[in-house]
Amino acid sequence: MAIPPDDGCTLTGALSVTTEIDGCLTLIHGPAGCTHHNFSLLHALHTARDRITHFSLISTDMTEQEVIFGGEQLLEETLRRALSRHPELVCVLSTCVAATIGDDVDAICNLPYEAPVVHIPTGGFLGGGFLAGHIQALNSLSFFADESEKTLSVNLVGEKTLEYEVCEHYQEILRILLRIGVPVNVRFICASSFSDIQNLGKASLNILRDPSMVPLGISLKRELGIPFIESFPLGLEGTIRFMERVGEFFSLDVTAAVSEEEALQKEMVRVFSSLKGKRITFNTNPLTDMHPPYGYELADMLDLEIHDQGNPVPVPDPFPVGTNGIRRLLHRWRRRCHA
Amino acid sequence: MKQIALYGKGGIGKSTTSANLSAALSEQGLDVLQIGCDPKRDSTRMLMQGKLIPTVMDLVRERGDRNVCLDEVVYRGYHGVRCVEAGGPEPGVGCAGRGIIATFQILEKLGALAADVVVYDVLGDVVCGGFAMPMREGYAEEVYLVTSGELMSLYAANNICKAISRLSSRARSRCRLAGVICNAKSLPREEELVAEFSQKIGSSMIQFIPRDQVVQQAELNRKTVVQYAPTSDQACIYRLLAQKIMENRRMDIPTPLEIGDLEELAYGYST
Repeated sequence: MAIPPDDGCTLTGALSVTTEIDGCLTLIHGPAGCTHHNFSLLHALHTARDRITHFSLISTDMTEQEVIFGGEQLLEETLRRALSRHPELVCVLSTCVAATIGDDVDAICNLPYEAPVVHIPTGGFLGGGFLAGHIQALNSLSFFADESEKTLSVNLVGEKTLEYEVCEHYQEILRILLRIGVPVNVRFICASSFSDIQNLGKASLNILRDPSMVPLGISLKRELGIPFIESFPLGLEGTIRFMERVGEFFSLDVTAAVSEEEALQKEMVRVFSSLKGKRITFNTNPLTDMHPPYGYELADMLDLEIHDQGNPVPVPDPFPVGTNGIRRLLHRWRRRCHA
Repeated sequence: MKQIALYGKGGIGKSTTSANLSAALSEQGLDVLQIGCDPKRDSTRMLMQGKLIPTVMDLVRERGDRNVCLDEVVYRGYHGVRCVEAGGPEPGVGCAGRGIIATFQILEKLGALAADVVVYDVLGDVVCGGFAMPMREGYAEEVYLVTSGELMSLYAANNICKAISRLSSRARSRCRLAGVICNAKSLPREEELVAEFSQKIGSSMIQFIPRDQVVQQAELNRKTVVQYAPTSDQACIYRLLAQKIMENRRMDIPTPLEIGDLEELAYGYST
């Protein structure tokens, strides 16, 4: 799977993490617009998935006055006001403006407070976009992980909390992991709590959402001694390989689980046998120009003919996770092929 | 209305030259406004008999930019010269350059930028866009470089030429180099060196100001030389400078020297 380009706003990437932590208050040190714009975006994305927006987001509402005289005092005042709401955790996100004038956000965050306060540097002009913000937030939060004994469990690292099928992807990987007898320790971070973050170090293996999270995987390996697998399971063959790999890591016998999964896949192919012999063409995003390897795998399995004039079928990016992800996708293919 | 700006290396004597120039201009019967554009805020101190006047940024810090009125930022000093200090943040915080931009916007809004002659005294090096503000938007149309014959001072002056030539290439820009003022450090052949430098950058040395003890004495007495020792040679030189500036019609787009050429030039006068 190709690594997606890192564009967009660094702040949004960090917010896609901090707004997923129950009891966390996010304070954005910058002009009000940075907060407003991002709040609107998150609200719209959540609403589109029938989720109610309930996260706490506060702006320091920086103006020209702070740009000229420095914004550290305003940050401290806003931070103390935010803490009076008794959040479990405060994430302070800096912005382009705060970084430009050189406010020492770290110093303000390191003052003694009654709740943990963490600075996530997100001055976007310094390079990096949404992904950089996402990784930065996870990196900064990982410092709250306690030293702990490793258990037979995995962390799910770097779930794309704003992607459309985030819940379905999670349910599927959870099903696959439980089938081979490996529980999930912590989702880092999606619908998580502060104590989840503190328990991060209990897992023996990190499973990254996709290879774009490799830099984070490397730093978590260094800091917490947890090795990683670079992606959630994708594709039919890929799902089987994933089960074998996790099984091998934990020295578990996964033969039965793998046979069962293969049977499930075979049955699924049978269910969609009405597609057999159909002409298809891959309807990929011309902007990312993704090579659809999983599309070819499916076409092969279902005996489909790839043809320029064929029915356009989607090969989404990100590709749906696991066997059940493919099942959802094949429903869409069947509709496109009128089969 | 004549709008001039003095630029040059920090500590070279811009504020002393500006204050004496403003004093001399006002003695000619002109309405003079001097604006200090340095967070150090000491440009107009000698004109104000040693008093540090409240700065525009002080007032903005206290009560925001909406509640500042003209009388609170403009102070009358020696011979009626009107004085304004931009001010800025405490050293090491915020953005002083943005402070200069905000000051200009406020002065513009208050209609403060009107006089026979406006003299802008700007921070030593044009470190960022904010300190180029007086050169932009048609504020300072005539830039005077203040330099001695020391290499570092010439280097700073040469650097400012880069800002001037960049800005003057814009279609609507009226910013030009009007001349070089040599504020001497009593170096050998200093006048010749600065004159040659001026010519090499495509300008001319408008005035040579020799080093004189009276400048120090006047400052210790919290006055400009023009006020403290009105009949001294030094006061005459400042009056002469004022006269030349009023008569000066030279407006050049400078051609900054390469660093090697500049060093070679200074080296040639070092023996």
